[in-house]
Amino acid sequence: MRISRSNVSTEINKTGSWRFVRPGYDEKTAPCSNACPVGQDIARIEMLMGQGMFPAAWETILRENPFPAVCGRVCFHPCERVCNRGEMDSAVGIHHLERFVGDLAIERAYALPHPFYGDEAETDRRATGGKTVAIGGAGPAGLAAAYFLARLGHTCDIYEADSEPGGVLRWGIPWYRLPEDVLKAEISRIVDMGVKIYCQKPITRDFMARAREQYDAVFLGCGYGRSLPLWIPGEEKVLNGLAYLHDIRGGDNTCTGGRAAVIGGGNTAIDVARSLTRLGVEPILVYRRRRQDMPAFDHEVEMALAEGVQLMPLVAPVRIDGGDGGMVLTLQRMRTTRMETAGGRCRVEPDGDRTETLMVDQVYSAIGAEPGENWLFPPEHQPGQLRMSHCILWEHPDARLPVVFGGDLTTPVKSVTDAVASGKQAAMALDTRFRHGGKAIPERLGACRVGDGTALSMEIYLSGRRKTRNPAIVPFSALNTDYFAPAERQAPPVLSPETRCGSFEEVEGAYGRDAAVQEASRCFNCGICNDCDNCRLFCPEVAIYIDGTRCINLDYCKGCGICVVECPRNAMTLEEEAS
Amino acid sequence: MKEVVEGSHAVSEAVRLARVQVMSAYPITPQTHIVEALSEYCADGRMAARFICVESEHSAMAAVIGAASGGVRTFTATSSHGLALMHELLHWASAARLPIVMAEVNRALGPGWNIWMDQTDSLAQRDTGWIQLYCEDGQEVLDTTLLAFRLAESASLPVMVVLDAFFLSHTYEPVDIPDQASVDRFLPAFQPRIQLDTQDPFALSQMAPPGCYMEMRHDIEAGMRRIPEHYTAAEEAFASVFGRRYGMLEAYRCEDADIILAMAGTAVSTSRQVVDDLRERGEKVGVLKLRMFRPFPAALLASLAGDARKIAVLDRNFCFGVGGIFAQEIRAALYLMDSRPPVYSYIAGLGGRDVTPETIEEIYVRTKQSERPAPESVWIGLDPAACPVCRTD
Repeated sequence: MRISRSNVSTEINKTGSWRFVRPGYDEKTAPCSNACPVGQDIARIEMLMGQGMFPAAWETILRENPFPAVCGRVCFHPCERVCNRGEMDSAVGIHHLERFVGDLAIERAYALPHPFYGDEAETDRRATGGKTVAIGGAGPAGLAAAYFLARLGHTCDIYEADSEPGGVLRWGIPWYRLPEDVLKAEISRIVDMGVKIYCQKPITRDFMARAREQYDAVFLGCGYGRSLPLWIPGEEKVLNGLAYLHDIRGGDNTCTGGRAAVIGGGNTAIDVARSLTRLGVEPILVYRRRRQDMPAFDHEVEMALAEGVQLMPLVAPVRIDGGDGGMVLTLQRMRTTRMETAGGRCRVEPDGDRTETLMVDQVYSAIGAEPGENWLFPPEHQPGQLRMSHCILWEHPDARLPVVFGGDLTTPVKSVTDAVASGKQAAMALDTRFRHGGKAIPERLGACRVGDGTALSMEIYLSGRRKTRNPAIVPFSALNTDYFAPAERQAPPVLSPETRCGSFEEVEGAYGRDAAVQEASRCFNCGICNDCDNCRLFCPEVAIYIDGTRCINLDYCKGCGICVVECPRNAMTLEEEAS
Repeated sequence: MKEVVEGSHAVSEAVRLARVQVMSAYPITPQTHIVEALSEYCADGRMAARFICVESEHSAMAAVIGAASGGVRTFTATSSHGLALMHELLHWASAARLPIVMAEVNRALGPGWNIWMDQTDSLAQRDTGWIQLYCEDGQEVLDTTLLAFRLAESASLPVMVVLDAFFLSHTYEPVDIPDQASVDRFLPAFQPRIQLDTQDPFALSQMAPPGCYMEMRHDIEAGMRRIPEHYTAAEEAFASVFGRRYGMLEAYRCEDADIILAMAGTAVSTSRQVVDDLRERGEKVGVLKLRMFRPFPAALLASLAGDARKIAVLDRNFCFGVGGIFAQEIRAALYLMDSRPPVYSYIAGLGGRDVTPETIEEIYVRTKQSERPAPESVWIGLDPAACPVCRTD
C-alpha cells in the first residue's frame, strides 16, 4: 500500500516565494484622535481603560493634555461626533471615560512617572536645564503652555490678573459643570512640577518692556475677558454676563428672583441662564437666529431648556427702557434668509418693522467677548510673525524676545481644549525656537501632527512610540466589525432638572468602575494593536511569531492577506511588493 | 437484547459499541438523530470519545481525516447536501487509505428543497473510492455499521453505510442490540497502519508526482478488488458471534425466476411481499437485493441473476441524460458475462414518494409484457397534474 508521506518538515517549502503583496503592522490614526483639538491617543486610552489599566490610561492622556478631569467635563468632545462606533450603534462615551480616569487619578493621587514619554531625550533636557518663560494668564492656555514647557525642561512663571488661577475654568464656567476642587487638583499638579503662579499680577506693557532682563520668551494667553457691547440705547442698564458668572464663582450667589432676559446664543449665555435658574430667576434667552444656529453646544442648550430656561429665537434687542421697577426690552423680529454664514449658520435680517416688547427685571448680555486690553492682540501684518493653527509667534521688535499669542486670542475655536492645544503648540514652537531656531518650527511641528488635522502630539515631538503611527485615518469600512457585538452606550447618572434647578451641585455624575470598563470595551481601538493575536492565529503558514513584538517571517508569508482581513481594527496593511 | 429503536439510533448504538474514539459531524435532516445521540453519549460519559463540533460537513470530514491519521477509530454521519459538501474530502479520505466509517442517510438534493428519501446523493459519490453498503432495516443498519469498522480497518479504505431517509432513519423497529463483550470479540481495538506521531514527525498526503501517482491509484484499486475477500471474512466472523449474515447481494426466490427485480434499501422489503404474492399467483419472480454498491460485485451478480430471462431494476435515483444508476451498473457488469439478460430500467420513489406494492407490481407487469427494454428509463407514477402552481411553461 503506497501513501504519500514526507519525513522532512514543510519548512523546506518557502511559501514566501509566492508573495506579491506584503502584510505589515501599520498602526493608524483613529478618527477621534484626529478630531481631538489636543490629539489625545484615544484608541490607546480606551484600550488601557478596557483592560482596567487606569494609571496607564491616565498617563496616556497626560502626555497630550494636563486636564483630563476638567476636559472630561467641559470639552464639547468632537471626538464622539466622528467615533466609528457611532456607525454601528452609538459613539463611545469618550468624555465620560476621560472624566472617570481624571477623577480617579485625583482620588488616588496618581503621580507622573519619569521619564514620562519613555524617552531618554526628556531626561537629558532636565539635566541640561532650559530657558525661562513668562506666561501671561493662568487660564487653560497659559497653564497648558507652562505644563508642556516644564515637561520640556524649561522654567515658567505665570502672571495672573485675578485672585486665583484657572481663567475661564475658575471664573467663567459654573460649578454645576466644573466643581472647584477638581480644577484645583489639576492646577496643583502643574504647580508641583515647579511652575510658579503669581496672582493679581497681570502682565503689563511695562512688564513686556523689561521682560528680556529675566525671561527668554513670553506667552500671552490672557483670554477674552471683556464683553462686547450691544450698541443699543439703554445699554447702561444691561448687566455683563461674564462678570455675573465671575461674581457667582466669587461666592456672590444671592437669590434675586423675578425674570431676566439673557441676550446671546453662545455658551456664556447658556451658563448665565442656567445659573439664574439656580438663583430663583426665570431666564429668557433672547437670540437673533434660530435654535439650531446657536453656537452653544447642543447638549448644554438641551439641559438649559429642561431646567426651564425659555428661548425666544429670531429677535434682536433694539432698545432698553425703564429702571429698577422693571425693564422694557424692545425686540426687532428677525427672519431667516437663504444665505448662510461661513460657519453654516443661517443669516437673518429684520422682518420689516415688526417689533415686540418683553417685560423683565434684569437684562444680561452675553453676545461675545474680546481681550481685556487691545495690545494683548497680536498686530496684523507685522514682520517676524509665524502664524500657526492655534497661536502666533512674533519676534517682538520692542521687547526683543519671542512672544507667543495663544488661547482665545488666536485659536480658531474658542474652547477650553483648543486653548490647551494652543498652549501645547506654543511650548513646542518655543522649544524648537530655543534649540533649532525659528525657521525650524514649521517642519518640526508639521512632523508632530496627529492625522490630517491641526492637533499636535507631544509624544511624537519627543520621539515616543506614537511617532511610528501612520497619519492615515481609519474609516469605518476598514474595520472588521464581525468582531464587535452591539452594546449599549453606558449612561452616567444625571441629576433631574427639578433637583439641579435648586443648587449648583454638579449635574452629570461619573461612571462607576464597571461601567467605565464596559464602555471602554466598546471602543474599536481603531488603528491600534491591542494584542488580540488574530493575525498570528489565522496565519495559514504559521509565519507570524512573537519575539518581544509580533513579527512576520517573510520566508513563509505568502501574502494571502488573511491577517490583514482578520485584524478587527485596521492595525495592519497589505502593500504590493516592490518589484 | 432486543429493543425498539429508531433506525438512526441503531447506527448510534453500533458506533457506541464499536468504541469509536473521535467523531465529528454537522447536523442535517434526516441524519441529525444519529449524531445527537452520540454527542449525548460523549457528554454523559457512556463513550470515551471526543465529539468535535464543526461549522460544516467539509470540516467534519477534515476533522475525522485528521483524527484517523492520528491512528484512532473515527465516525461521522451526513446526508444529501452535507455529503455533497464533503465531496472533496471523500477523495482525501480514501486516497489516504483511512478506515473512516460514515453513516449516510439517503435524501434528495435541492432545489426544490426536499428532505425525503432519494439515492442520488450517495450514488453521486460512487467514484470517490468509498465502499458503499445499502441497508434494508434497523437490524441490518446496526450490524452493517459494526461490520463496516472491521471491513474498513482490514482494507484500509473508508466505508459508507447507507440507509433510507425516514423509511429507515426515523422508523422504530425491534433491534437486537448486542452486549459490549460480544462486540469486543468481533471488533478488537483498532491497530492503525498509519499513525502520525509527534515524537517522530512526518507529513502525510504530500505531493505525488507523475512518476508514482498512477501506482498509488492502482494500489487503491487493488485494495478495492480485495474487498469481497475481506467482506466475506468479516461476515464470517460476525456470523460466528451474532449468527447473522447478509452477503454482498441477496437473492430472494431467484433460483427459477424468469424476472428478477433488483433494488436497494427499504423497497426490498416491499418487493419481498410482492414477490410472495406474485409467486402465489404462479408468477416466476424473485428479488435481488443490492447491498454492496462499491466495489460492485459483478461476478456475484452474474451468478445470482444471470440465468433470469429479464432483470427489472428499480432506481430511486437518477442520472440526468443517462438513466437509473443501479441499472447502468448492472448492465455494465453483465456486458462481459456469457449470459446477460436484458435489463429494464425503472425510476420510482424519488424525493420521498412512496414505493408501494402496486408500484412494484406495475414494474413486474410492464417488464413481463415488454419484449425488450425501452432505450430510456421508464418513470413510474408520474402525475401530469402535479404541482400546477410550480409550472412556468
